[in-house]
Amino acid sequence: MIEVSDFKKSFGSKQVHKGVSFYVKTGECLGLIGGSGAGKSVILRSLIGLERPDSGKIVIDGTEVTALKERDLVEIRKKVAYVFQGGALFDSMTVFENLAYPLREHTKLSESEIRRKILHQLEEFGLGGNENLLPASLSGGMQKRVGLARAMMMSPEVVLYDEPTAGLDPYNTKKIQEHILDLKRRGVTSILVTHDMPTAFAVCDKLAILLNGRIEAQGTMEQLEKDSKGLIAKFINGEAA
Amino acid sequence: MSALSAPLGAFLFESLHILGGMGILSGRILKDLFLGRFYLRLVVEQVYIIGMKSLPLILITATSIGMVMSLQFGLGLEKFGGKMYVPKLVTATILREMGPVFTSLMLAARVGAGIASEIGSMVVTQQIDAIRALGTSPIKKIVIPRVLACLITLPLLVGITNFVATLGGLVIGTTELNLDANFYYLKVLSTAGISDYVSGIGKSLFFALFISIPACYYGLNVKNGTKEVGSATTKAVVVASILILVGDFFLSKLFWVVERWV
Repeated sequence: MIEVSDFKKSFGSKQVHKGVSFYVKTGECLGLIGGSGAGKSVILRSLIGLERPDSGKIVIDGTEVTALKERDLVEIRKKVAYVFQGGALFDSMTVFENLAYPLREHTKLSESEIRRKILHQLEEFGLGGNENLLPASLSGGMQKRVGLARAMMMSPEVVLYDEPTAGLDPYNTKKIQEHILDLKRRGVTSILVTHDMPTAFAVCDKLAILLNGRIEAQGTMEQLEKDSKGLIAKFINGEAA
Repeated sequence: MSALSAPLGAFLFESLHILGGMGILSGRILKDLFLGRFYLRLVVEQVYIIGMKSLPLILITATSIGMVMSLQFGLGLEKFGGKMYVPKLVTATILREMGPVFTSLMLAARVGAGIASEIGSMVVTQQIDAIRALGTSPIKKIVIPRVLACLITLPLLVGITNFVATLGGLVIGTTELNLDANFYYLKVLSTAGISDYVSGIGKSLFFALFISIPACYYGLNVKNGTKEVGSATTKAVVVASILILVGDFFLSKLFWVVERWV
């Protein structure tokens, strides 16, 4: 479903990615972990063409994303949702308008259908009654949940999460975990970039660690539980960065 | 020599880089303008923000320009007995130069700064990325409505400036210079030719681009967090002002040549 091969990218003279390769099967959730500044978010952004690699190939559902022009990326972006770390809500729009944005852009639904869908979505995400608020009036956790709800409006096949639980209290973290698990149950493929290991263990099928510009180790959660001396175990225990 | 050439080289390189960037942005605007969906509602919204909200500033500036010019020309020409030329001079100067230039400079300060800081903040808070991630184009949703709104509103604002500034000149002409109001009015009408309007309004179309394109360019190119939003805003206003002032000379020349040719 998602295949990244020999991904290389430099920022100025610093080569951050020296040939990153991994794949994610349909319906699977991959946790991408690694130290701060390792370039996890850059890979995630590149998957929907927000960044361009210097070389390498990204293939999603048989389409080579890296070969597409900005205009041609629209179709990929309709089926691949990106959940931004801070929500990235449009601050001049209400919660309702934020959620309506993708529907108004990409569907021919009537305003009443859009309203019905949004109110239902807000209820699902525990945000009912907040549709007329501006993002600035929401707490950080609520903003992230609205961001997640907006990303889900087009019923995507793939979801890319960029630290969805960073800075959240346990209640909101649990809520986000439940939403990710719910989407997984519906067969959505996902990649989760995170430093929040309990969340990674709660929702991911496998983990990959990005270290020194490469995927240095990866494995299923069962394999990792058995391999207590491996690189990922060391990273989780704070013995490697 | 080398101590001088290094900064000069860096300045030239930076200038070319900026001009190239703005050229690429202009190309994308032109391309996207005729392809796909057109967001009329966003253009109307921007016309209101850029045009209506700039109106008080423009009215104050226009009144002030007209009154000051009338007074200064009057005081200067009075010594030579040329007070009766004040209406002619004030009108021609306002229509051809002061109206478009002052209105554009005011708009560069208010609107150019606003556009650059708004887009810059959207970049920092990943809202521009979100527009792209949701399968839409920031050029279509953000840039084109602002550029078109500037192109629509600036000529209209220049028209208002011309009228108000002329009125300001007339008030001072009659009250301070003791010119007859009817005489002043008739002189204004006989002076203002179609070429004066075409030159002034024509220039304002170019000035609209000089304001909106650098503002969008600097806003979209904010890279290092909120700190850079401020400097992007400053650069947008400085570049727009320079382009307006330098461009004014070349555009005046251009319209002068065209007038002679026509």
